[in-house]
Amino acid sequence: MMSEFRIGVDTGGTFTDLVALRPDGSVQTRKALSTPHAPQEAVLEGLRGLAADNGLSLGELLARTSRLAHGTTVSTNALIQRRGARVGLLMTAGFEDTLSIGRGPLRRTGGLPASKGRDYIHTQPVSPLVRPEDVRGIRERVGSDAVVLREVVEEDVVEAVTDLVAGGCESLAVCLLWSFRNPVNERRVGQIVARVAPDLPVSLSVDVAPLIGEYERCVTTVANAYLGPTTETYIRELEAQLEAEGLGSDLQIMRSSGGLTPVSLIKDDAVAIVNSGPTGGLVASQYLGELIGADMILTTDMGGTSFDVGMVEDGAFTREQSPFIDQGLPVRVPAARMITIGAGGGSIAWSDRGRLGVGPSSAGSQPGPACYGRGGVEPTVTDALLILGLLSPERFFGGQLHLSEERAREAVATRVAEPLGMGVEEAAAGIYEVVTAQMSDLMRKVTVERGLDPRDFVVFAYGGASPLHAGHWLRMLDVREVVVPATSAVFSALGVATSMLSFSEQVSEPVEFAAGSPTADVIGQIFDRLWGRALERLARIGVADDAVGSTGHVELRYRGQMNELSIECPAGKVTLDELDGVKRRFEQEYERRFGRGTTVRAPMEAITFTLDVFVDERKPRLGDVRTGGRDEGRPLSPVAVRRTYQRDSGWWDTNIYEFAGLVAGDRIEGRALVERGDTSILVPEGTHAVLDEFGNVRIRLDGVEQEVSR
Amino acid sequence: VSVDVDPISFEVLRHRLWQINDEQGVAIRTVSASPIVVEGNDFNVGLFDRRGRLATSGSGSLIHVNTLGFTIRNFIESGLDFDPGDVLMTNDPYLGAVHQNDVIMASPLFVDGEIVLWIGNVLHHADVGGIDEGSFCINARSLFQEPARYFLKIARGGRIDPAVERTFVTNSRLPDAASLDLRAQLGGIHVARERLEGLMAERGVEVVSAVVDGLIDDSREQLSRMLGEIPDGTWHGEAHMDGDRVGSDRVVTVTLEMTKRGDRLHFDYAGSSPQVDSAVNCTWHSTYAGSTVPVYAFLCGGEIDWNAGLEELVTIDAPSGTVVNAEFPAPVSICTIGFRWLVTVAANQAVARMLSASPAHRDRVCPSWGVSCNANNLFHHSPSGKTQGALLSDHRCGGAAARSFADGFSHSGQITAYSSNAGNVETTESKLPVLYLMRRQLTDSGGPGRFRGGVTAMSALTPYGVDQLTFKSTNTAGTEASNAAGIEGGFPGGGSQAFVCRDADPLGALAGDGAAFDPETLVTAADWLPSKADGIVRQGDVFGFYPPGGGGFSDPLLREPWRVRDDVAVGLVSDEDANGVYGVVLTGAGVDEDATRVRREELRTARLEGASTVEYRLGFDVGNGGSPSDTLEVAGGDGDPEIRCTWCGHTYEHTDDGDAVRARGRRGPVGGAGRWVGRRVGGDSSRFELQQVLCPGCGTLVSTDERRVDEG
Repeated sequence: MMSEFRIGVDTGGTFTDLVALRPDGSVQTRKALSTPHAPQEAVLEGLRGLAADNGLSLGELLARTSRLAHGTTVSTNALIQRRGARVGLLMTAGFEDTLSIGRGPLRRTGGLPASKGRDYIHTQPVSPLVRPEDVRGIRERVGSDAVVLREVVEEDVVEAVTDLVAGGCESLAVCLLWSFRNPVNERRVGQIVARVAPDLPVSLSVDVAPLIGEYERCVTTVANAYLGPTTETYIRELEAQLEAEGLGSDLQIMRSSGGLTPVSLIKDDAVAIVNSGPTGGLVASQYLGELIGADMILTTDMGGTSFDVGMVEDGAFTREQSPFIDQGLPVRVPAARMITIGAGGGSIAWSDRGRLGVGPSSAGSQPGPACYGRGGVEPTVTDALLILGLLSPERFFGGQLHLSEERAREAVATRVAEPLGMGVEEAAAGIYEVVTAQMSDLMRKVTVERGLDPRDFVVFAYGGASPLHAGHWLRMLDVREVVVPATSAVFSALGVATSMLSFSEQVSEPVEFAAGSPTADVIGQIFDRLWGRALERLARIGVADDAVGSTGHVELRYRGQMNELSIECPAGKVTLDELDGVKRRFEQEYERRFGRGTTVRAPMEAITFTLDVFVDERKPRLGDVRTGGRDEGRPLSPVAVRRTYQRDSGWWDTNIYEFAGLVAGDRIEGRALVERGDTSILVPEGTHAVLDEFGNVRIRLDGVEQEVSR
Repeated sequence: VSVDVDPISFEVLRHRLWQINDEQGVAIRTVSASPIVVEGNDFNVGLFDRRGRLATSGSGSLIHVNTLGFTIRNFIESGLDFDPGDVLMTNDPYLGAVHQNDVIMASPLFVDGEIVLWIGNVLHHADVGGIDEGSFCINARSLFQEPARYFLKIARGGRIDPAVERTFVTNSRLPDAASLDLRAQLGGIHVARERLEGLMAERGVEVVSAVVDGLIDDSREQLSRMLGEIPDGTWHGEAHMDGDRVGSDRVVTVTLEMTKRGDRLHFDYAGSSPQVDSAVNCTWHSTYAGSTVPVYAFLCGGEIDWNAGLEELVTIDAPSGTVVNAEFPAPVSICTIGFRWLVTVAANQAVARMLSASPAHRDRVCPSWGVSCNANNLFHHSPSGKTQGALLSDHRCGGAAARSFADGFSHSGQITAYSSNAGNVETTESKLPVLYLMRRQLTDSGGPGRFRGGVTAMSALTPYGVDQLTFKSTNTAGTEASNAAGIEGGFPGGGSQAFVCRDADPLGALAGDGAAFDPETLVTAADWLPSKADGIVRQGDVFGFYPPGGGGFSDPLLREPWRVRDDVAVGLVSDEDANGVYGVVLTGAGVDEDATRVRREELRTARLEGASTVEYRLGFDVGNGGSPSDTLEVAGGDGDPEIRCTWCGHTYEHTDDGDAVRARGRRGPVGGAGRWVGRRVGGDSSRFELQQVLCPGCGTLVSTDERRVDEG
C-alpha cells in the first residue's frame, strides 16, 4: 500500500487545523471548526475534508497515511477547568502537607507576573489538584545517600489505598522522599497498590519525574495522575475510531517539549502534553528555518488574548526544566521554552492620568473587542487596528463577522482619546505602538536574558495578528528579517506534522565534576543506566534501537550553586578530551550569560543527566511553489488601495496585494498590505517584502537585500 | 534639561527599565551559590536616578531597595571619585546596609562623562565572619565582635580588583559561596550596565531621565491620592522582643504612633527601648525601610510602582540612641531580623488599624504577616577544619493574618519579600548533613477569628551522617508574646519557637516501628529555646522549630460553623479549639446547629464573668465616616452618633472626653490565644498577658491584644 500522507492535526480553541505533507513536498491545509465537547469530531471532520480534497474517502486517506500526529488541548483544558480525576496521594509520613505548605509563598505567587504577586491581599492561591483529605502518609524513608532507613510499612499502603478508593479516588499518585535516588520503596508501594487495587491508575514520581525537589516532583506526579485518565480516555477513543476508519499506522501525540509520544506511553506522559499547543509553531519554525537557512529564530504567535514568544537557537529550541503549568504549580517536565504575555487582539487599552496602557486584561472572545458588536465597550487592540485601516472589515473571520468601525471609534474615543486629549486616530496609533513595543520588549527579554543579541535573529510571525506588527520589529529590534510563513494560519499543525517521535530519560544524581577519569567513569555509568531505561521503553513501543538518534545533556554548576546550566555531553563513555570540552562549553556559556570574568576557580558538580532519544526519520521536504517567475504580460499590481493611519505621517494611501496573485521573486515596496484569507501582513514604510519559493513573505529593511530563487 | 515624553514612549520605556532591572536579578539568581538567595530571594536589584532615588525595584526583599537608595546617596556624598565601570561595595549598616551580611554593590552609569543613573543590588551573603556562624551574632556585645564593615571599590573601569575580592572572601567561613555571590552581584551590574548603555544610545539621556523622574512622580501622585481617601487619625503599633542575645531573655520593645493627615503618613517611634548591647539594634534608614514595608504591600500593592515616590509622603521620627535608631558603635548584625523586623511588625499593625477605619479600603486590612523570622543556621565543623553550613529556610512557612473578607494565607512567607520561598526538604538534605523527620502544618496555629489567621508549619530534623551540628537560633521574637496580632477582636496567631529534644533516637524509632513524627508527640519532650540560643545537636537529638501563624479577624464566635467544620476536617483546627474557642459542636462530619448556639451563649456568658469596666479608645473619628469594626457600628444621625454592638445592638456609653467608650475588659495568660503562644513559658508569661475588650451586653469581642505588664 502506498504510504504517502504525513498528517498533523492541531486542536485549537476555535479551529482544528490540519496539514498533510506528501513525498513530493506538497503541503495541503484544512481547517475545521473545533468541537470542544468532543474534540475527536472536529479531527474526523477535518480528515474527511482532507480526504475529499484528494478525491479520496476517509478510509482511503487513512490507509495511505504513514503517520498521524495530533496536538490536543484535552489535558490543558482539564487542568484549566479543574475537570481531572479525583486523585489520592501517598507521601512519606511526616511530609503529607508538602503540597499544602507549597514551599511557602511559591504555591500562591509562583509563576505570576510581579503586578499580581505584589498584590499581597488579593492574590488567592489556585485550587489544588488533590484535596488535602485525600493525602495519606506512608511510613518509610530513604536518606539523601540512597540508604533505606525504613522499608515500606505495608499495612499503611493497604489501609490508605482501600480508604481512598472507598472515598472516591479515581487515580493515585505516589511521591516518596529521595525515590529518584533509590526507587525501591516507591516501587514497592506500586506493587502493593497493584495488588490491592489492580484497576486503579497509578503515577509513581520515579516514572514521571525522577528529579530532586519533592514539591515540584509531587506537583508533577499529582498533575499526571489528575490528567492521565481524562487524557488517556480521549486518546484511546480517538485511536479506536481512527483504526475503525482504517488508520494503518500509529497515532502519536504532541508533547510540550516538542516531540511525539506513542499512545502506548501516554500514561506517564499526560502532564507532558499540557500546554503543547504553542510548541507546534516552534517545531514548524525549526523545520522551516532549516529549509531557508535560518538557525536563529524568534517565533511570535499573537492570538486573541496572548502573545507567545519562543526561540530557536543554533537550529534547536530551548527548553525549560521546571515550567509552571498554572499559578503555583511548577512541573519537572521539560517544555519548549515559551514566554507569554497578555497582549492579544482582545487586550484592553486604558488611560490613567496622562498615561496610556494596554492589557493585561482582555475582552477575550466574549464580549470581545468593541467592533465585534457583541456588547464590548472597552477599546482593544483589534479596535485600534480597524481604526488605523490595517484590518479589512469584510474579510475578518472569513467574512463571518462584520466589524463595526463606529463602535471601535466610540470605544477608543471615550476611554483613551478624550481622557488623553488626543484624536481618535492618534490614540489608536498609540495603542498599536504600545502593544507592538510590549511584544518587542518581550523578544528582547528572551534573547538578552540568555546573552543573545536580537540582531542575530530572524523573526517568524504566525497566528492571527503577529503579521500586522512584525514588520516594525525590523527597526525596533534590529532583527535581520521577518518571515511570514505560507502556512502561517495553520503553522502549529505543520509543526505537529513534522515532529519526531522522541522521549527523554532523566535522573538527578549530584556528582563531583572534575577533569579526570573518575568523573568520566561516573558519567559513563549514569548514561549507561539511562540507556538501559531507554532501550526498555523502545522495546515497549516496538522501535529498533538502531533507528534512533540521541543527545545527552548534563546540568552543571559550581559546587554549592542552586541553578545549573544545561550543557551538551556525549551520552555514554566520555573521553578526557570530551570531558574537557564539556567544561569549556560550560565556562563559555557562563561568561556569555553573566559577563566576562564571572567564572571562578571553584569545584564543579553535575546534578541532572538527560538522555534525549528520538526516532531518526527523514524529514519531509517542502516542495517549491510558484516558481518560474512572473509572466511578462501580467505585472505585479495591487488589487486595491486603502487609507491607513500612522502616528508620524497621518493618513496614507496603502497598496493592498492579494497573496494568491503573487509568485516567487515578487517584490512589494512598503508601505503595503498583503492579504491572505483572514491574515493581513503589513509591510511598513522603509521596508520591502519578497515572496520566496516556499511561499513565505520575507520582509527586510530597504537597503538590506535578499537572494531568493525564483 | 527636562523634556516632554509622550505617554506612549513613557509606557514603552517604563517596561524597558523594569525588564533591564529584572535581567539584573536573573543573573544574580543563576550565579549565586546560596539557598538564601536562590530559593529565598534574599537579594534585590534596583535602578536609581543620578541622585540615588529609587526608580525601579526588583521583586526580592523590599527592605533592601529603600536602604540601597540611602547607601547610594552616602556613596555620592563620600567624596570618592567615580569613573565609568567602577563598582562600589559596602556592608556597613551605618551607611545603609541592613546588616553586615547584606553586601551592597552600586555602580554609576556614565554618559559623556556625567553620571546619569545608578545601578544597585544587595545580596545576603551566607557568612561574612563575626563571632557566630552565619554572622547573625547572637553572642556579640559589641560592634567589634561582629563581621567587618567594608567600604571598597570592588571593580575599577569594569574590571574586578582581585586584591579587594580576596580581602572580602577570605573573611568568610564559606569562602566558595562568598566568591560566587560576589561574582553574582558583579554579573548583575554588568548585565544592567550593558543594557542601559544601549537604551541611552537609543533614546537619549534626557528622555530616559525624564521617564525615571516620571516614574517616581507617578507613584507619589498615586499614593497621595490613595492616602487622601483614608480618614485622618492616629493609630498604635507595638512589638516586643523576648530575648535579645544568648543568655538574655529581657524584653525590648518598639512602640509606634502612626499619624495620617491629608496625604502624609508619619511614623513616630518615641517610647521605644534604649539601644542594647546585643546585635538586634536597628539603624535609622533600616527603621525607615521597615516602616515603608506595609505601605508598599498594602497601599501600593500591584497598582503603584514601588519606588522613591513614597519618600516625600512617608516620614519617620526615631529617637536617637534607641533600638530603632542605634548610634555607633551599637552592634547591629541581626538588625534585619531584629528590630528592623519588629519595626515592620508594629508598622503593619498601625497600617491595618488605619485601613480598618477606612470604609473605602477595608479590603486591605491585614494586621500581621510573618511577624518573626525564626532563622536557624546549622553548621558542621569537620575535624579537618572544613566548615559546611547554611541557613534553614523553613521560617518562610509562617502564616499571615486573616483579611476582612477571608481567612489569612497559610505559609504566606514574609511580608518583606512576597516571593521568598522555602526550600525543598531534599535540597536542604543534599546541602547539609541532616535528616528531616517531618514538616507539617501546625494545627491551631492560625489566630482564631471570624476569619482565621493563616497557619504555620513545624519542621524537625536530626544530624545525619555526622556526630553533631552547631545550631545558632536567631528567632526574632515570639517565645512569650507572639506579636502575631489579630484585629477587631480576632486572636493573635501562634508564636515562633525553636526546641531541642535530647536523646530522642529518631533514627532508631524510624527503623523500629517506622514512627510517624508529629508535633504533639514530639514536643512532649522538648527543651524550649529562648529567642536567641546556640548549642550542639548530637546524633539522636532532634532540632525543631515553627515560625509564627497569622492573627485572626473579628470574634471567633462569629465564624460560620461550616468553616470550622472544614478546618477540623483537614487538621487546621483541633476538636478542642472548635469547641472551646469557636463554640462549634461537631457531630462526625456535620455541625450540630442547636448545640452550637447553646455553646456559643455559654462562652459569651463565661467571658463576661469576672470582667471589669474598661475604657476603649476608638482610634477613629466617629463623625468623619470611619467604619469602626466588624463588631462595632456607628448608628444615629450626624449630630449625635452612637456606637453599637453589631451582634446584640447594645449602645456603648461614651466617656466624658468622647474619644472612648465604656466596655468590659478581661485579662488572662497569653496562652489563652492558643496553645502555640508562649510555649516556652507554658502559655503563662509574667511579662505579658492577653487583654480583651467585650461588649457589656453580649460579650462579643471588640479587641484581643497582647500587652506588656511588667513595667509602666
